Amino acid sequence: MSSGITVADKYWWISLTSAKSNLAYLAEIGSRVFFLGVILYIFLRLWQVTYSETGSQTLGGLSLPQMLWYLAITESIILSGPRVAQSVDQDVRTGAISIHFIRPLSYPLYCLFNTLGERAVRFFVNMSVGALISVVFVGFVPMNWLGFFCFLTVLPLAFVIDFLGNFLIGLAAFWLEDTNGLVLIYSRMTMILGGMLIPLELFPDSWQATLKMLPFSAVVYGPARLFVSPDLAFYQDILFRQVVACIFFALAVAFVFRIASRRVFANGG
Amino acid sequence: MSDAAVTIENLRKTFTLQTGKGLKRTSSEVVAVDDISLSIPSGQSVAFIGPNGAGKSTTIKILTGILRPTAGSATVLGWVPWTDRKKLVRQIGAVFGQRSQLWYHLPPRDTFELLGKIYELPKNDYTKRRDMLIERFGIGTFLDTQVRKLSLGQRMRAEIAASLLHHPRVLFLDEPTIGLDVMARQELRDLIREWNKEEGITVFLTSHDAGDIEYVARRVVVVNHGKVVLDDKVSSMRRQYLGAKVLSVKYHDNPAALDFPGATIVKSSQYAVRLEVDTQVTAIEAVMEHILKAGSVADITIEDPPLEEVIAHIYSQPPQPSTGEEDGE
Repeated sequence: MSSGITVADKYWWISLTSAKSNLAYLAEIGSRVFFLGVILYIFLRLWQVTYSETGSQTLGGLSLPQMLWYLAITESIILSGPRVAQSVDQDVRTGAISIHFIRPLSYPLYCLFNTLGERAVRFFVNMSVGALISVVFVGFVPMNWLGFFCFLTVLPLAFVIDFLGNFLIGLAAFWLEDTNGLVLIYSRMTMILGGMLIPLELFPDSWQATLKMLPFSAVVYGPARLFVSPDLAFYQDILFRQVVACIFFALAVAFVFRIASRRVFANGG
Repeated sequence: MSDAAVTIENLRKTFTLQTGKGLKRTSSEVVAVDDISLSIPSGQSVAFIGPNGAGKSTTIKILTGILRPTAGSATVLGWVPWTDRKKLVRQIGAVFGQRSQLWYHLPPRDTFELLGKIYELPKNDYTKRRDMLIERFGIGTFLDTQVRKLSLGQRMRAEIAASLLHHPRVLFLDEPTIGLDVMARQELRDLIREWNKEEGITVFLTSHDAGDIEYVARRVVVVNHGKVVLDDKVSSMRRQYLGAKVLSVKYHDNPAALDFPGATIVKSSQYAVRLEVDTQVTAIEAVMEHILKAGSVADITIEDPPLEEVIAHIYSQPPQPSTGEEDGE
């Protein structure tokens, strides 16, 4: 019997429900947005000084307006990240993961779509404020529809890669006493090596090739750089690296989850 | 093949427990379920009880396909849970009293809608079923109120209704009344009992609450140390397992001392005595003779001991072979 509901509908609905649920967290989102506003203003001042001290119009190929928009996007991406690893860790430790095993659902996919719904709301709110501050202080950056379309295709993939990395760390709870250390290392690496504060072009030349190869740049640097300076060749390059990272991490998640799900213990009587 | 909703044969589950740290780390084997055999006919309501760590949660997790047993076999609705989990989960429902499936910041309506999609229910079927559950569980008044604003009783009613949306044939209830007040608890028990009778759904209940067992279940299976220590009808459990009666006697004047084999004075005042009697040591007729001989009786009541006491007594007993009681309702 066909109900007309496809597997895609099912997971899409999870994202929608998650997004709806997260709109109830507006107060929390509001506090993050305030934080984002303060950070962007401080960085605007810092970059203004840097540009004037160096006397150059561009740094790492970006003008001051592009730099502020770049920061608005990287900060929005980082600050919109849900606590995936901590949530999976809790599900494992409390045994709550078992609830998901008795439904016609894949636990990793459930978490993925739940996270995407949550992140979409948070990113949209963050980006609205980031865009407002950028427009007020430095105006618009040159943008075309093709560039915007490219950005909209790499952004969800960036979220998926970040989810998969965090999910893997959360699954480590099946073996480790505490995953907080790993979460901290992963998040700091994403921020620093992903180019949250400065574009990768401003890192030493010898580092750049390696940093661009790492998945962190596909999460943060790639989408932001594409937004402020749309380029079809760069788009193809970042998209390719994202797809490779997604496949690699997805296979890793499938492998680890398969082993981990055999270790589900009866936590809590 | 019999019309059994659940069959378990010689089920065994062991875990490896690691203790200590570093080089001093040692492993030991913990037996959570030890050779359990059961058969539950379709439509029966069974209380599966035991103290913490007795193995009931592990058994439920095996029956719902979450865990794979170390040895033995089990089927639920004809499927082997751990190999046919994807098929089985569409036919079973589960409520864990301490773990909510409702979205905390959304009204129950949204969770119902999502569950309808997850179980791939056709739109018409979903709407009909949801409306029927709303009416039967009396949740219409708070269907659009955020779950975080509901009382625990309201939340549990919504939880159970949500778990019934996809027409499950077996319902696993893990401590569904935990934390509820007396009224809410009774309402929930009535709903589960009605559903079991009218829909013919098989109910597999775990609880530490004697009232849940008494009102909801017809059959009780007690597990301890991973083994079945009792498998009987709830109604006969008290009688058969603990041959004790509690007698409260009031006299017209000061009675003589009541001292006979099997009698324990629980409480006594000037004209009243409350005693517990083991009727397997002294028959109830002989007990009455002793009481009447002791003085002029003004009033007397004879009660069964509270179910909590019976259960506590069973928990304290060493494991015994299962009687395999399999009567229908």
